Amino acid sequence: MSVIDILTRVDVICKKYDKYDVGKQRDQNVSGDDAFARAYAAVEADIEAALEKAELSSKEKSKASAVAVNAEIRRTKARLLEEVPKLQRLAVKKVKGISTEEMAARNDLVLALPDRIQAIPDGTAAPKQTGGWMSSAPSASRTAIKFDSDGRFDDEYFQESEQSSQFRQEYEMRRIKQDQGLEMISEGLDTLKNMAHDMNEELDRQVPLMDEIDTKVDKAASDLKNTNVRLKDTVTQLRSSRNFCIDIILLCIVLGIAAYLYNVLKK
Amino acid sequence: MSSSDPSKLISKADNLTKLSLTRWSADWKTATPLYEQAANGFRVSKDYENAKLSFEKASKGQEMLSSPWDAAKHMESAAALAKELRNWTEVIDFYRRASELYMQCDRPQPASDSLAKAARALEDALPDDAVQLYTDACVILEDDGKEQMAFDLYRAAASIYVKLEKYTDAATFLLRLGLAADKCNARNSQCKAYLSAIIVYLYAHDLQQAEKCYNDCSQIDAFLSSDQSRCASKLLSAYREGDVEEINRVAHSSTISNLDNVIIKLARKLPTGDVAEIKGDADKGVEEALDENDLT
Repeated sequence: MSVIDILTRVDVICKKYDKYDVGKQRDQNVSGDDAFARAYAAVEADIEAALEKAELSSKEKSKASAVAVNAEIRRTKARLLEEVPKLQRLAVKKVKGISTEEMAARNDLVLALPDRIQAIPDGTAAPKQTGGWMSSAPSASRTAIKFDSDGRFDDEYFQESEQSSQFRQEYEMRRIKQDQGLEMISEGLDTLKNMAHDMNEELDRQVPLMDEIDTKVDKAASDLKNTNVRLKDTVTQLRSSRNFCIDIILLCIVLGIAAYLYNVLKK
Repeated sequence: MSSSDPSKLISKADNLTKLSLTRWSADWKTATPLYEQAANGFRVSKDYENAKLSFEKASKGQEMLSSPWDAAKHMESAAALAKELRNWTEVIDFYRRASELYMQCDRPQPASDSLAKAARALEDALPDDAVQLYTDACVILEDDGKEQMAFDLYRAAASIYVKLEKYTDAATFLLRLGLAADKCNARNSQCKAYLSAIIVYLYAHDLQQAEKCYNDCSQIDAFLSSDQSRCASKLLSAYREGDVEEINRVAHSSTISNLDNVIIKLARKLPTGDVAEIKGDADKGVEEALDENDLT
């Protein structure tokens, strides 16, 4: 067995018996007991993921995928903002084994979270009034519909930015091109369909002819076989060994007579 | 033997067949091969008249020898040479005789083939006779139950009628083609035939007839659910609206481009005459009907 195999097997066995490792479990349980730490870790992970996606979308060339990614980021942000009040409550709860300084630190962390969440770029142009928003957040019902742009529906909001009009133009152009392409394909398919139908009919036409050929060839083949057998019989009869021997004997007799005459004449 | 002068061969063969005091029955057995060789020799030297004569005599010889197949083949060769000489009556006679001989051999297909060849030869010179020959050829095939082979003949006959500008006859033929296609379940050909008939009627500027034709054909399920019937209804509605552009657009669509060449040419030339006039006529017809029902 090679070293690699041994290592793999050891890893698998360790993983299997991890649940009996008292030391490891205690560590895990510490954070397991602490719901706040768990939830906070989850939120942190989500924020990191959202930031990554935001970076990707800013590098994105195709407008459509950029828009889709931005929409997803916005959704994530809204969800995270929902989680923040929960985290605040958990932060205030007293957990055993944590010092008062840590509790205060946790509170600060939670307060800093909303700013961090809002800071994730998601492609909306209007600036945000985070303070006003945050003050209403804890008291606002969690089932309220979230607006991305803080409900500021002034003229600027509905004005077509250059980006969006360009995007719309591009969209129209692409749609026209697609329509043209589809038309060409449809024409080609029409021709193919017609050709296929004609081929079908032609083959149908030829089926009875083939059947006729089949019968005729069968008949010819059987006639030929018949003839062959009869020919074989005739030839065998003609050249049977008995006749052959008789031929040889007679030939010898003729040769003998010729030799005898030759001898007689020579003398 | 084959290099000897064909005229010598033919005179020799004639001597063998001519009845005289010394010869009481014609010796067709030796004469026929001589006739054949003479005919080939004449054909090579492009003496079509003599070649034709020799083929005729060879065919007669084969008939006497009770082999109608060879006789028919020689008749066909004679007819082909008559075509070169542009002797149309002889062409018709020879091909008909060949066809009869083929029927004697119990082979209807070559029989109709020879009639079709005759019709093709006569298309330009005697179109009426050509159509007659096509019809006879189709009848032979239909009697034998081989309608599928008749499609091409029907199409050719219809195109001749169109050339002669006898549009109703052309449309009738196309409808017969549709009927034959129906018998063999050749749905595509059937629908194309009906669409072609409707186009021919429209070309003859006869909207009522075209509509009647469309209604009749719609009784048939296969046609009703086909592309061609949709195209026909679009065309007819464009006519009823009097919309020339729409007519042109439908005429250039791919469904019509799949039809026969002659029909495509007709379709491209639609609409013939004034479409608005047709619309006026149609409206007038409707109005008159209202008047009849109006009892006041």
